[in-house]
Amino acid sequence: MIAGTSRSALSGRLETTSIWLLLVAGAGVMFFPVYWMFATAVRPKDEVFSGAAGLIPSSFVWQNFADAIGRVPFLSWTANSLIITVFAVVITVTINLLCGYAFAKFRFAGRDILFLAVLSALMIPFQVIIVPLFLVVSELGLLSDYWGVILPRAAEAFGIFMVRQFMVSIPDELLEAARIDGASELKIFFKIVVPLSKPIIAVLVIFTFMWRWNDFALPLIVMMKHEMYTVQLGLNLLRGQFNTEWSMIMAIALLSLVPMLIIFTFFQRYFVQGISGSGLK
Amino acid sequence: MAAVMAIAENLRGPAVGRPSAADARRYWLQAKRSQLTPYLFIAPNMALFSVFVFFPLLYAFYISLREWSLIDTPRYIGLENYARLASDTLFWQSLSNTAVYSIATVPMSLAIGLVLALALNRDLYGRTILRSVFFLPVVISNVATAVIAAWLFNDNYGVINALLQQVGIGPVAWLSSPRWALFSLVVTSLWVRIGFCMVVYLAALQSISPTYYDAAQMDGASRWQQFRFVTWPLLRPATFLLLILGVIHSFQVFDLIYVMTGGGPGFSTTMIVQYIYQAAFVGSEMGYASAMGMVLFVMILIFTLLQWRVNRRVEDVA
Amino acid sequence: MATITKRSFLKTSLCAGIGAGVGMYWGAANAQKAASLTMTSWGSPAEIAAFNAQIERYKARNPNVAIKLEVVPSGQYYQQLDTRFAGKQAPDIFRAQYQRIGRYGQSGAAIDLSQYLDAGFGQDFLPSVWRASTIKGKPHALPHHTDTFALFYNAEIFEACGIEAPKSLDKSWTWQEFIGAAKLAKEKAGLNYAFAMNWQNSNAYRWLMYLYQHGGQLLDNELKGPQINTKEAAETVAWTQSWFKDGLVPPNTSLKSSEPVQNLFATGKIAMLLHGDWQIPFIQEQARFKWGVTYLPRDVAMAADLGGNALAVSRDSKSPDVAADFVKFMVAEEAMREFVTKAQFLPVRKSLKEKGLVYDIRNEEMKVFLEQSATVPEHLVSTIVLPTWDRFNAKLADELELAFTSGQSPTATVANIEKHVRSTLLV
Repeated sequence: MIAGTSRSALSGRLETTSIWLLLVAGAGVMFFPVYWMFATAVRPKDEVFSGAAGLIPSSFVWQNFADAIGRVPFLSWTANSLIITVFAVVITVTINLLCGYAFAKFRFAGRDILFLAVLSALMIPFQVIIVPLFLVVSELGLLSDYWGVILPRAAEAFGIFMVRQFMVSIPDELLEAARIDGASELKIFFKIVVPLSKPIIAVLVIFTFMWRWNDFALPLIVMMKHEMYTVQLGLNLLRGQFNTEWSMIMAIALLSLVPMLIIFTFFQRYFVQGISGSGLK
Repeated sequence: MAAVMAIAENLRGPAVGRPSAADARRYWLQAKRSQLTPYLFIAPNMALFSVFVFFPLLYAFYISLREWSLIDTPRYIGLENYARLASDTLFWQSLSNTAVYSIATVPMSLAIGLVLALALNRDLYGRTILRSVFFLPVVISNVATAVIAAWLFNDNYGVINALLQQVGIGPVAWLSSPRWALFSLVVTSLWVRIGFCMVVYLAALQSISPTYYDAAQMDGASRWQQFRFVTWPLLRPATFLLLILGVIHSFQVFDLIYVMTGGGPGFSTTMIVQYIYQAAFVGSEMGYASAMGMVLFVMILIFTLLQWRVNRRVEDVA
Repeated sequence: MATITKRSFLKTSLCAGIGAGVGMYWGAANAQKAASLTMTSWGSPAEIAAFNAQIERYKARNPNVAIKLEVVPSGQYYQQLDTRFAGKQAPDIFRAQYQRIGRYGQSGAAIDLSQYLDAGFGQDFLPSVWRASTIKGKPHALPHHTDTFALFYNAEIFEACGIEAPKSLDKSWTWQEFIGAAKLAKEKAGLNYAFAMNWQNSNAYRWLMYLYQHGGQLLDNELKGPQINTKEAAETVAWTQSWFKDGLVPPNTSLKSSEPVQNLFATGKIAMLLHGDWQIPFIQEQARFKWGVTYLPRDVAMAADLGGNALAVSRDSKSPDVAADFVKFMVAEEAMREFVTKAQFLPVRKSLKEKGLVYDIRNEEMKVFLEQSATVPEHLVSTIVLPTWDRFNAKLADELELAFTSGQSPTATVANIEKHVRSTLLV
């Protein structure tokens, strides 16, 4: 009995170790492209084009980063991206919470059909509506304007969907009790619903930040002036204009990830919890 | 608890006994207010959707009935664009390419995501870091992903070929042989997608109550049986959602392929959205492109609704 | 605050002063009325710098006019331009290839410039590019420069392999000699591939030069019917296809690839590059070896291709007169000379050609391009400037790509191209 236990404990440990080793190997493969970005960015420029130059750069030229930032208006691109992203996150999270809450906790005429309409927005390939959308944005006078990029994407079908699934599990009794106490609907929303929704808010913040920070097709047609370029547009411009300056392109590409990583690290502890509370389970 | 009692009382209130006139009025106003509230709450979203999604969609339909090169005046031609679709072999080829791409990426990304989630749901050393590494590609933009992938897979300077050549293989034309181009795209897409699947599965695993496993273990169920009869059925909603999102995603794939292969070699990696894009901006046939877009939209919609129905039915049976 | 205002005031008046001075000195157009214009272009860093230099010169002469150059990556250029036309938001001035002018002119997107030009304005321009810029006798764009192809070679590899590049146009290699040199270079220098051709990124039409070299043509002499389903055409497809089959060019240099072929040459991966004159600044900067430029190979005939761009004024411009004035300035002798010598293009004014130009870099190599440009067949030019060319070009790219990468036979390829000629080019 005792021998059996220790043998199974041993095999258990063996199993855990081998799973761990496999995971580490897998993580190595997953991480390699990002490492390679880094390696390309800091290599001496002569080494960039010889793939055989070795996995580890012969020396680390940190100056490449400074050069890249010096040669392109990376800071202005970043500022534009940040302005767009921050406004978009605030707006999207607020209105998606309100909307998802209404779909989850109210019965009203046309609810299901409206919800279906929201979901159908997910299924429209962006390239199909890009020209009509450009005409709308142009009619509204929002070309080369932050709002021209923020507003068209502020309503996010996927966000509404997640919020709805999450909020379905908020007990009705809580809301009814507050109503009986004479609380206004807005007050109920802000005082009861929002505090209960922290995990899903974290998920929404991460996703919205990610979507807006990484947006490409819409800013490409809306932001015609170079001073309004976002990081992704800038990266695309570099790829098109300086197609041999791989260390510069990789340096900028790598830097473009930094805000995402900060946000993700910051909100990460809510992340799995939030998704697990939402319909994504 | 007090709240629940209050609700119960409230529910009984107006129906049983005679409420005071003031109570009745308050009840009425509240009922009326809550009638309006949901509409007010969804209004901002719906307004934005209407202006920036639904109206452009209707507009695209309007364009689909016309011949328009973007720089001239549109001319009404009825359903001609739709009629043309049936005989456009390239449309069907890019549609079937897209289907192949979806079949190659969606189940695989779900499977790998699930295996990772099961492994990372254990108590392992450095679990958080491992999870983060697997999730990392999800947050990388399409532009950056395409830049990295095109660089890694590059036939002439790519590190993959350099490494292969060191062991005496290659060079492989990763992006320019019909045999490997789709493969390279699928690998890149998996790199992007599996992290998302993993996180969703992880979340789902964590909401499975341990009591299910206790019961199964009491009954002497093997680990495979536990997975087969407890885990897998309880992960159904997550699987279903990932399946739908995966298919929607792969039917809309564009940037990555545009940068990596341009749809070539030949038409071997031309996906439907790229074909639409080409018709609009290279072929200058915006009307025809819009017609294809409408058809694609309806296809995705029907696929999703069908999935939904099937899923409902399976759930009902279960 | 006050100091800045003062300083910027000083700067402005100084500029205005210089501007007025320069304006008087040149004695050309009077300073224009106030206008704020935008112009779009794609281009290499050298081209963009050359554009900006000319814009500054114009602004100095016309202090009331503000011009902003918006650079768009070439891959997205026409998509963005067309979308902006659809939304009536097109830039005042745009750059376009000669084979696209027909389309923009015919739809009225590029306006008729007749009213801004004196009679005989077109006389100094090369007839081919002037014709490409006019529709029914009315100029809808002004020719700005042209370019052509020649053969860049890695002189060190050539030397090591004992290959000698042709020294004059009449001594240019035949197709066989060219392939022989390529095979030799590949073998002796231990290269994976010998050369590459720039026909990616909507440059499919450049394939036509080989067709003309082999005695074929796409359309009949009257440009009324296809003449592509011929033995000559099939043989030309077969020849270019053999580059891929025999491993002489990297497989990722077919038409749909996004590989910039000039990188392959500049990094020493290939010994020869078929590319245009405007690549000289790039290769000069990047290549760490001795290199030169020689003539294209020839078969029964010699033929080069016509590239290059014109400048057009859009119908959305609020100040078309000022925009037209700027375009006229850009194509005037002085500005054209500056632009082409800085960005390494060929001029489109006869007067400049006659006077001869001194290029900023690699003057000797530019002479090869100049000589080569004289071999562009007139019929080829007439073909590619048809207003429907743009649409057809994509189909041509599709078919050649299928032949080069997916084993489509030369006969099937020319038969398919013939079909596309009927359905998209001649409509």
